[in-house]
Order: sequence, then structure tokens, then C-alpha cells
Amino acid sequence: MAARALFRWALLPSPKRLAPPLLRTPRSRLTLAPIEAFSSSTSTTNSATNYLRLTDEELMALCDIDTFKASGPGGQHRNKRESAVRLKHRPTGIVAQAAEDRSQHKNRASALARLRKLLALEVRKVIDLNDYTPPTELLQILPAKSTIRGSDVGPQIGPNNPKFALGMQALLDLIYAVEGSVSEAAKILGLSTGALSRLILSDDSLRMSVNGLRTSKGMRPLK
Amino acid sequence: MILRLPFAIRSALPSPSLPLHRRPIRSPPASALSSLPPRPRQEIPLFLRPLAHSAARSDLDAFRRWAKSLALTAAPGIAAAADGGPDADHLIRELSWLVQDATSEPEVGDEVRLRVGLEELYRLWRERIEKRRPFQYLVGCEHWRDLVLVVREGVLIPRPETELLVDMVAEVEGFQEGLWADMGTGSGAIAVGIGRLLGVRGKVFATDLSPDAVEVARFNVERYGLKDKVEIREGPWFEPLQDVKGKLAGLVSNPPYIPSSHISGLQAEVGWHEPRLALDGGKDGTDYLLHLCEGSASALKPGGFFAFETNGDKQSEFIADFISTMWGNFFENVETVLDFAGIKRFVTGVRR
Repeated sequence: MAARALFRWALLPSPKRLAPPLLRTPRSRLTLAPIEAFSSSTSTTNSATNYLRLTDEELMALCDIDTFKASGPGGQHRNKRESAVRLKHRPTGIVAQAAEDRSQHKNRASALARLRKLLALEVRKVIDLNDYTPPTELLQILPAKSTIRGSDVGPQIGPNNPKFALGMQALLDLIYAVEGSVSEAAKILGLSTGALSRLILSDDSLRMSVNGLRTSKGMRPLK
Repeated sequence: MILRLPFAIRSALPSPSLPLHRRPIRSPPASALSSLPPRPRQEIPLFLRPLAHSAARSDLDAFRRWAKSLALTAAPGIAAAADGGPDADHLIRELSWLVQDATSEPEVGDEVRLRVGLEELYRLWRERIEKRRPFQYLVGCEHWRDLVLVVREGVLIPRPETELLVDMVAEVEGFQEGLWADMGTGSGAIAVGIGRLLGVRGKVFATDLSPDAVEVARFNVERYGLKDKVEIREGPWFEPLQDVKGKLAGLVSNPPYIPSSHISGLQAEVGWHEPRLALDGGKDGTDYLLHLCEGSASALKPGGFFAFETNGDKQSEFIADFISTMWGNFFENVETVLDFAGIKRFVTGVRR
């Protein structure tokens, strides 16, 4: 059914009810300061502003979609399997694409999954450490030995699970808030530094994001 | 799943006389039939064949290198023809799909099992490059939506744009329990796409006047276990639908819509290999579209929905204007709908 939702963007106007997004970290990740503010509202309390919580359909409504070669008459005129899909998320400018599958349909689904991951990596929410409780999504990706993780959280969600992106996003929010210090983040999450490092290293894009931040702060990258 | 293949073993020689189709309401020009390429030997689609062959991995790699260099060598010539044919990157992607369909994954070891002999792979790729035979006919299938549809010469290869027709149907309130018709179904793509979304009382009638199309559509319907949901009927447009006249919840079609004068300039893969019957829409390309719009007035029940694919912007606007002007008492909410390239590809409307 998700696949069907992907198409609806073409038929519906963009929803107006979505709250403006929060901050997006710069691609260079050299600084925590936001370089793009999207509106006066930077309230960090409303989780509805999190793009990852949108349904596929709502997220697609915020995207421009191209097939790579939109020139020419198309339709019956063409045989070119122009199945590659490129999604541009208008609010952040983040682009995700997929071309590896033979079906445009499947490429749209892959591009959307990729977009979710990129949004998790690049859209940062500012956290007030004095009043911080890790959200459930973050607890779900933590190993069971975390002392703040109740047994009601369920089994640990790994990087291959689509739900991992939400937890990863919250983890990055925290790591940015502590300016890249894995030991400090580990303390807050009730883990040893080693255990949190292993979690970060379990996903390539998460590792690269954290290491990008650490390098920019003059810290050694995790290995 | 039992696979009953519709592919009769035919003589390698083209039959001396082409099969006589029942004529459509507006018959295509006589030249359309005479320009059909001879029907080649019909074969089981590559991906459905057993892994009855094998080759040394190094030999398969050698084939890949040869095929790639053939593609790279041919690409400038294809570009020079300026007919919108594939570039080198595209051909190389097709090559990897060809190998994908011909092998089973994951393959380990030095011996690779194949669905076709290595020499046949060489022959197929030569046809792709030298004769511009569409990749989909080479492998006998097209990936469309989340389906893998069987296709062969004589049947239009479903296009990505057409995928949207199924989504438009799925937007119609209560579509699941309605009676639908896909006219000129070709490979059965739209009908299968809709059929998979229907509820217990819903049904799609898929019509086509081409016996080739009927055979292939029937195969695709059966492969997806939709015999109860999709009923194939042979004949032109509305003719096989007389018994459900006025009862249909919706009509969809991707009819031939290319103006006759454009046929000779089509991309070689299309113009040389795909059935003209499925492409040529008459002088302005609107012959069948107008026929469909007119017939929809009596075929649809009140509140029934139609969606037709068109040649794009101007043709969509023309058809939408024409319906509103000429048949305004029959239809409402007539509009054009964009495809993914931003072209006004479809005309939709509702029977009053």
C-alpha cells in the first residue's frame, strides 16, 4: 500500500497543515549553528514537525519528483526504461535518488527510504540537555544493557529496520547537543562509551555523520 | 502456481498470411498491418525458463566485456540517428538486467547456471544492438509497477507513465467493488494492476482485438492468479462490453494515440518492433480517443469515472475541451492530469 501512497502526490496539493521544519545542519557539518532557518518558528517541542513521522504520502507531497530525463514526448513514443527516480525534498533541498531497479515504482520506494535516512542524518533538532529525556525511538535502538532502557521498550531495533532512522535521528540530535562527545552521550543513555561506539559503528551513515562532527570539533574519529 | 504457457510453438518462418483481425470501429490504415514485422518464434520469457544451461564464470565475464564494448561502439551511431534511442549507460544497465534474468542469484563458484545458452546470450545482445530490438522483447518481460509482466512481439510494452492510471482508479471512492473495463489492454498491465486492488465484488473486463494481446494478457492474468478478477474479452473497444453497458464504474485505456505522420520518425525500438496497431491513432492521433469518449457516455453508469492516456499536452487539452463542448451534458469534472515528467498525459472525467 505504501507504493500506492507514493503516487498520490501527483493528485493532491501539498498539505498546508504541516508545521514548518526545524533546523537543517549544513552539508559540510562544520558547525552546529543552523545555516537555514525556515520560519520564525523554531519551537522544538512539537514532534509533528519531524519529517520522519510523516506518512509516505505526506512526505511525497513535500517533494518534487523527476525521472532523470523528462525531455521528449514520452508515453508510447519512447522505449527507454527511464525508471530512475529523483526526489527533492523542497523544505530542506535534500535530494534522494534511485536507479538500480527496473521498475520506476520500486525506484520511487527506494528513493523515499533513502530520503528518510538523509533527513534523519541532516535535519537536527536542538536539545536542551537540562530537560532531556531520550525519546522511545532512541531507546529502541539501544542495546538491552542500557540502564535507562526499560524492559517495555521491546527488542533492539537494528540498522536494517526502517524504524532505525527515527532512533538514529534522535541519537544524532543528542550527539550534536553534547558536541560530539561519545562518552557524554553514553552517560546520558546509560551505556558504556564502548557500547555506544559499537552502536554508532554499526551503521555506515551514522558513523560517517558522527565522525564528520567529531572531525569538525578536532576530535578523533571513531573506528 | 501452474504456468500454462500461451506460447505456441510456431514455425520459424513467418506465416504467409497475417491473421485477420476483426476490424476496429475505425480500422487502422492498411499499411499498419503490412508493416508489422514478421512474428518470430515465440519463446518462454527468459526469467521463467529453467536453469538448464551453465557456463564458466570466466566465459560469462567475457560475454559481458564483449557486450559492453558492442554497446559502447554502437552508442555514437544510435545518438546520431537522433530518434531518442538509448545511450551507452542505458544499454549497459540493460546488459546487467539481461544477465540478471539469465542467471540465478546468488551465484558462487566458477560455474554459473544459466536459463539460456551462452551463445544465445550473444545472439540476443547482437539483436538488441544491431536491430534495436527492444530489451523487453529480448527477455520477454517488463517490470511495471510492482509487477513483472510477460510481453512479446505483437504486444505493446507497457510504459512507466501508464502506471499512474492504476493509481487514479485507486483514488475513486468505492472502486474496489465496481465493474471496470480496460479497453485495448495489450499485455493486460492496467487490468492486472487494477485487478490486484479489487474487493470481492469488483471486476475488470479487459478487451483487445489483437489475438496476440489476448493471449499475452490471459497469461499475465493467470500468472498473478486473477482469473476471477480480470476477464479477458476479444474484440474492439466497447464491442465485447455490450452486456455491461451502463453498469461500469469506470473505464480506462491507453489507446493508440500517435499521429500517423509521426510513426515513421519513432525511436527504432518502438517504430520497428512494436505493433503499429497499438500506436497509430490516425491522422491527429485522436481517432480512438474520441471514440472512447463518445462510447463512455453509454457504457458508464451515472457517476462512473474514465481515465485515458494521451499523446500529451495539446492532445489532452483538445480532448478535454472537446468533451466539455460536445458532450458537456454527459460528463463533469473533465480534466487533464500530469505524468511524472510534467506532461499533461491523461484526460479524466465523470459521467453525470
